[in-house]
Amino acid sequence: MAYSAAFKDHLARPRNAGELLDANAIAEESNPVCGDRLRLSLRVKNGRIEAVRFLAYGCPPTLVCGSALSMALENMTIEQAMSFTKRDLLDLIGGLPSRKQHAAALAIETLRVALESACSAIL
Amino acid sequence: MNLLRLTPPPCQPRLVPSGKSSKELTLRCLQFQASWQRHQVLTMPQRTVYLDHSATTPVDPRVVTAMIPYLTEKFGNPSSVHLLGQEARGAVDRARREVAALIGAKPNEIVFLSGGTEANNLAIRGICEVAETHGRHLITSSVEHSSVRGICEVLEKRGWDVTRLPAYENGLVRISDVRQSLRPDTVLISMMLANNEIGTIQPIADIGRLVKQERAEGRRQLWLHTDAVQAAGRIPIDVEELGCDLLSLSAHKLYAPKGVGALYVRRGVRFASQNVGGHQERERRAGTEFVPGIVAFGAASKIAREELHQHSAHLKTLRDRFEAGVKRLVEDVVFNGDNKFRLPHLSNISFRYIEGEGLLIGLDLQGIAVSTGSACSSGTLEPSPVILALGRDDELARGSIRFSFGKDNSQEDVDYVLEVLPRVVARLRELSPLNKVSSF
Repeated sequence: MAYSAAFKDHLARPRNAGELLDANAIAEESNPVCGDRLRLSLRVKNGRIEAVRFLAYGCPPTLVCGSALSMALENMTIEQAMSFTKRDLLDLIGGLPSRKQHAAALAIETLRVALESACSAIL
Repeated sequence: MNLLRLTPPPCQPRLVPSGKSSKELTLRCLQFQASWQRHQVLTMPQRTVYLDHSATTPVDPRVVTAMIPYLTEKFGNPSSVHLLGQEARGAVDRARREVAALIGAKPNEIVFLSGGTEANNLAIRGICEVAETHGRHLITSSVEHSSVRGICEVLEKRGWDVTRLPAYENGLVRISDVRQSLRPDTVLISMMLANNEIGTIQPIADIGRLVKQERAEGRRQLWLHTDAVQAAGRIPIDVEELGCDLLSLSAHKLYAPKGVGALYVRRGVRFASQNVGGHQERERRAGTEFVPGIVAFGAASKIAREELHQHSAHLKTLRDRFEAGVKRLVEDVVFNGDNKFRLPHLSNISFRYIEGEGLLIGLDLQGIAVSTGSACSSGTLEPSPVILALGRDDELARGSIRFSFGKDNSQEDVDYVLEVLPRVVARLRELSPLNKVSSF
């Protein structure tokens, strides 16, 4: 399948790239098979995600998933973010070929780890 | 590629996760539309630069002219006795002479087939099938093309021993390793003439002399095959100087169409045909010949032979200008493959902190076509085995890009790539968590 226009847009102009200096939830996960790596830093306040930044190393879908996920997460509650799925992310970027879907799985895995660290910090 | 023709994707409410208000949604849509327009301007390529000639080459217009009559009025089957058939037979024979001349062979030593992969299959499987009563050991290198690697794996499953020689940091096999690996039951050495990813030129003539010496000492059942798919048309090839018994060629690396290739088989070398059921190619490869493709291959071989020195010098000038520019403009790069024993058109560079496919797509958006042997693009998820075989770490293997120049590239093409490449690399490095000096 060809990549969507949304995919190409995120690739050409990644949103929220970088790292938050005042993040209170950070996660960096990697795919041990292909070496892709995604780092998310979140600033969570009163149960809501105020800001998100990402860094990514890997094939273009990994960069695009980082960018699209960071956009989607802004202003979400922790609860909403917890229920955000790989399917939601794939819809945002117009889908991925089956052999590239590991990029979306990595993004969601990194999000889960970041949210767990946010919840731990709150508790 | 013309990104201006693309229209902005519709903003679909269902694509926005629940929990967003309609106001937020509208704002997002407007932001997206605006960014899309900026993206169109930013990503519109200023020119198209094809730097993937090791993958395939455009067909030379002179080659197209030569082959068209055999797609139209001269459509005969070379096996037919009538005039149309004999016309096609004559064309195939003329092409055979041209392909033979490109590598210093005799015309009857050329077997036409579908391409480099089939040539490698026919050479290795054909020899091994005949020779297995004498021994079941073959020697190859750790940096062979996937077709040779694949055949070796199949043979191993059938009980053959395969010795894969190291290519060391410079990508070159050592003749001393070949000598030490020879065993009484070794029947075949299959070693590429030039590597498809890094362009290193292996010491095939030295191996050929070793094989000749072994034969002089009484070893009759030892053959040498070389995959010359990348080398043909880029460096001079003489099968007598190389001392090889079999040599693989592919037409589409020589500015001819895809779907045709050849195997050189030294006169007197016996091998088992893998395609049977027809008398074509003197029963060495059954099946009706792809006459237009073979005619094109002959025309391309003639052009390659006549213009080789001119094109080699041009390619080396472009490649050297490019590499000097990369060294000057981009930090943290590693050049792969020996600098002296390397094809003149090819440059393989590993970029630290970034993955090759991201760079490939970033360049593609700017109209520059290159290739990578890196993880995800190969479909295997593993980094390039060739770059790993040089002793590079995973990060360098994943961040390698092959730039392969062609005769139609210009200095302006190189300058454009040198303008774009540092920007794309810098942008990807800013995104990379491996880059500890990120600007964020």
